[in-house]
Amino acid sequence: MTTGDLFLQQLINGLSLGSMYALLALGFTLVYGIMELINFSHFNVFMVGAMIAMLTLQWGFGLYGQDVVLTGLPLILSLGTAMLLSMVLCGGIGVSIERFLLRPLRQVKGPAAMITTIGVSYVLFNVILLTIGSDSKNFPNPLAPIAFHIGGAVLRLKEILIWVISLVLMGGLTYFVQYTKIGRAMRATAQDPEAARMMGVEVDRVVMMSFFLGSALAGACGMVFGLYYNLAKVDIGFAAGLRAFTAAVLGGIGNVPGAMLGGVLIGLIESLSGQVIGTAWSDVVIFGLLVLVLVFRPAGLLGRIAPNKS
Amino acid sequence: MFQALKTQLARPLAGMTPERRKALGLLVLAVVLIAFPIVNPDDGDIDGAANALSYATLALGLNIVVGFAGLLDLGYAAFFAIGAYYYGIFTSFQVMPLWSNAWGPLAFLGLVEKINQGGPDLVHFTLSFWLALPTGALVAALFGVLFGAPTLRLRGDYLAIVTLGFGEIVPIVARNLDSVTNGAAGLNGVQAPKLFGTSFGVDATPYYYVGLALVALLVFVSIRLRDSRIGRAWMAIREDETAASAMGVNLVRFKLLAFAIGAAFAGMTGVFFVAKLQTATPEMFNFAVSSMLLVMVVLGGMGSVWGVVLGAVLLQLMQTWFLPQVNGWMHDLGGLTGIAYLSNIDLVQWTQLFFGIILVMMMLFRREGLIPATRPAPPLNFAAQHAEVKRGGFVGLDRIPHWVKHDKPGLEIRDVTVKFGGLVALNAVSLTVPAGGVVAVIGPNGSGKSTLFNVITGLVNANSGSIRFEGMELLGLRPDQVLVRGVARTFQNIRLFPNLTVLENVLLGQHARLTSGPFSSVLHTPANRREEREALTWVTDIIALFGNRLAPRVAQTVSGLSYANRRRVEIARALASRPRILLLDEPTAGMNPAETLELAEQIKSLHDLGLTILIIEHKLDVVTKLADTVIVLDHGDKIAEGLPEVVRRDEQVLTAYLGRAARAAVMEETHAG
Repeated sequence: MTTGDLFLQQLINGLSLGSMYALLALGFTLVYGIMELINFSHFNVFMVGAMIAMLTLQWGFGLYGQDVVLTGLPLILSLGTAMLLSMVLCGGIGVSIERFLLRPLRQVKGPAAMITTIGVSYVLFNVILLTIGSDSKNFPNPLAPIAFHIGGAVLRLKEILIWVISLVLMGGLTYFVQYTKIGRAMRATAQDPEAARMMGVEVDRVVMMSFFLGSALAGACGMVFGLYYNLAKVDIGFAAGLRAFTAAVLGGIGNVPGAMLGGVLIGLIESLSGQVIGTAWSDVVIFGLLVLVLVFRPAGLLGRIAPNKS
Repeated sequence: MFQALKTQLARPLAGMTPERRKALGLLVLAVVLIAFPIVNPDDGDIDGAANALSYATLALGLNIVVGFAGLLDLGYAAFFAIGAYYYGIFTSFQVMPLWSNAWGPLAFLGLVEKINQGGPDLVHFTLSFWLALPTGALVAALFGVLFGAPTLRLRGDYLAIVTLGFGEIVPIVARNLDSVTNGAAGLNGVQAPKLFGTSFGVDATPYYYVGLALVALLVFVSIRLRDSRIGRAWMAIREDETAASAMGVNLVRFKLLAFAIGAAFAGMTGVFFVAKLQTATPEMFNFAVSSMLLVMVVLGGMGSVWGVVLGAVLLQLMQTWFLPQVNGWMHDLGGLTGIAYLSNIDLVQWTQLFFGIILVMMMLFRREGLIPATRPAPPLNFAAQHAEVKRGGFVGLDRIPHWVKHDKPGLEIRDVTVKFGGLVALNAVSLTVPAGGVVAVIGPNGSGKSTLFNVITGLVNANSGSIRFEGMELLGLRPDQVLVRGVARTFQNIRLFPNLTVLENVLLGQHARLTSGPFSSVLHTPANRREEREALTWVTDIIALFGNRLAPRVAQTVSGLSYANRRRVEIARALASRPRILLLDEPTAGMNPAETLELAEQIKSLHDLGLTILIIEHKLDVVTKLADTVIVLDHGDKIAEGLPEVVRRDEQVLTAYLGRAARAAVMEETHAG
């Protein structure tokens, strides 16, 4: 491989990683934008999403490993069901967390809500650990192993699928937030919850919707992640979550297009730095970046510095 | 019969003062803990207890950061790791540079020795455990400052994720820096501590006693710090950063101090833990440890010293004794009922699941923890609650030494402009408050009054202009530096520290006038004791100014006070800082007419102390009563300045306040009259 090919290859990898991080970052950004809460349970809602998708493909469609290749309707049906189920169930988990564990704490000052999300994250992690186990699971992938060669670089079919899924979901979300009534209510609440409430916005519904959307996207991301790496494992939430959070901050937390941009940038940075420095240090690189952004540009690339709400 | 016996037994306790009872309780606890290894010589139990003690020291350290200062640190185990690797590296055979004579002095001190493993002579580090404890604390504290400096400026919730990342990075570095840490395999051959030439070896008992001593030390340090100027500053930061800063607390310095002291506790524990295990691997310091410590602190009670010790002991008991016990019962039950699931269950694996559940349940149902840090004060009797409106200003002002001298100019504001994006909040505003004068600022809502206060006290930056007090420029200073210059303020929407008592709130006003550092606060040096005593006298005198409004309530948390009393506490807090100019933002808002009059007269009597006063007020009778000069702001412009009566008739002012039509009506009335 020439340097150019290598660069192109890492660009492809980075875009795939980045589209996943973007999906996950949206969940952080939606919840933070509306409640100013870092939702640590998001890390593991995503992991649970990957598990749900895997189990759906295994139990519902009898797919194990990468040997069975489906085409046409069965392919769409199996992946579509897995993704839909993962999105709906994760959305349900997110909504339950909000409704039963966080809503009672809405008026409580201090770190109580954040500590609750840490606790929930822990519970999700350990429930999966105790039921499914700690070993790496082979995530079923019914896609034909088709690859396109662009110079020396390889673009696989599943990567194209990942890009398409991410684009469709992000487009859908953007439409939802920009043009629907509840989307408008969400944006209004993010700017000023008090004023929004006085204008008749049901803040409870808005908060619940932001949890549902964020968690559903995390569920979809879980399936995409499984397809991309051909694995699902109980500890995938942490690394992916930290990257996605960094992406949200990089783009400007609370800012929906910012999360998408940040996700793609983090994906590219990860794959390119992995090439240059070595993948063992990629956590350190991403995290160093997070600190730099927070220190020097806390509002992120697209965010504006929020006026002090207190 | 039993009843009689019970009273007999209870009588000596009932006769004791709470202090004596506490001391007796401590003594009993100490005897039990010291006797434990002798009564129960089972090495496994003692080992478990020693581990519990080391978790207790960690929880105590985390409590300083999370409980006292309110900084949610999710990567606390990183400092534990730093202490551990520090001792591990400097006592094991991992790092061995080539020997040269430059090492001679260190060898003489016993810190290194020359060894030969069949090759050139090498240096083997032989750091003494007893030296490593304090230096390990120091090294970890240094890293605390290093990690903290860039991140502590961030908002609290960002800090959580950044520390989470730090907590993750330190084990990664440990794993990847093979040459220094031996990577994932971990350091081996770490030296056991020696005392008088005898090695501790693998017997658990000496470690238990060292752990016990460490816990005792750290409990002592925690309590001393909590009850000092430093502890008060931390809790003020936890309760309300902005108000803490306005009361003279240097936020970055005190957050760093909390981080460093918390890290020092962890570093010390790291040394102890590794000396006990004689190995260090990256897995010993991962997120699971940090989160377990968080669970201990949350379970015991954030900010509660004995609470977190209890939390640590309970969780350790749960892991090493309770869960295995229940597990055994489950297996027996499974054997009896033939349910295979029960026979094969391994509850110890469920530990972390329980941790998560504990966190969630505590947050939902008992946020203050098992032993809350603040206990409710006893309710007041009727006499203490009864307050009459007093007239004639403050009582007992003569008891207070007058600290103001009018030898310097007052507050001079020149052409100050403040813009928020496109909005001009203050437009080239100039005003002067002569030393010893009372100036009132009035204006409709949104006219820039509070912005004026914020820019004077450093909460908001000015785009241009100059603000001088006693000839010194205030612009560009932090709020705490402004307070040090003698400028104190209250807030329109009352910013007290809700979970602190009235006394603690007012004592915080004294923060900038006190000088005790962490060492003198822990050691209670004579200077520290004198300073605290004087501060207490001073603050008591200030509180007494308000008659029996505040004095009976000094031990109550301010969140339970009435609105008017909270306003009074805020004024007392500002006064406690010995300001030379007092900035009052709508001090009588929400008070009834009688209380308003009382406060107005009290403010006027402050004037007798020589205080310069700048006041924002809506009630025009208060303004007329108090002010020498009235300044009117509208949309960020100064539209009028003059004597109260004159300003009341000013055309522009009437338009700003009442609109054109109303102005015309008022003018007509004035002419007709």
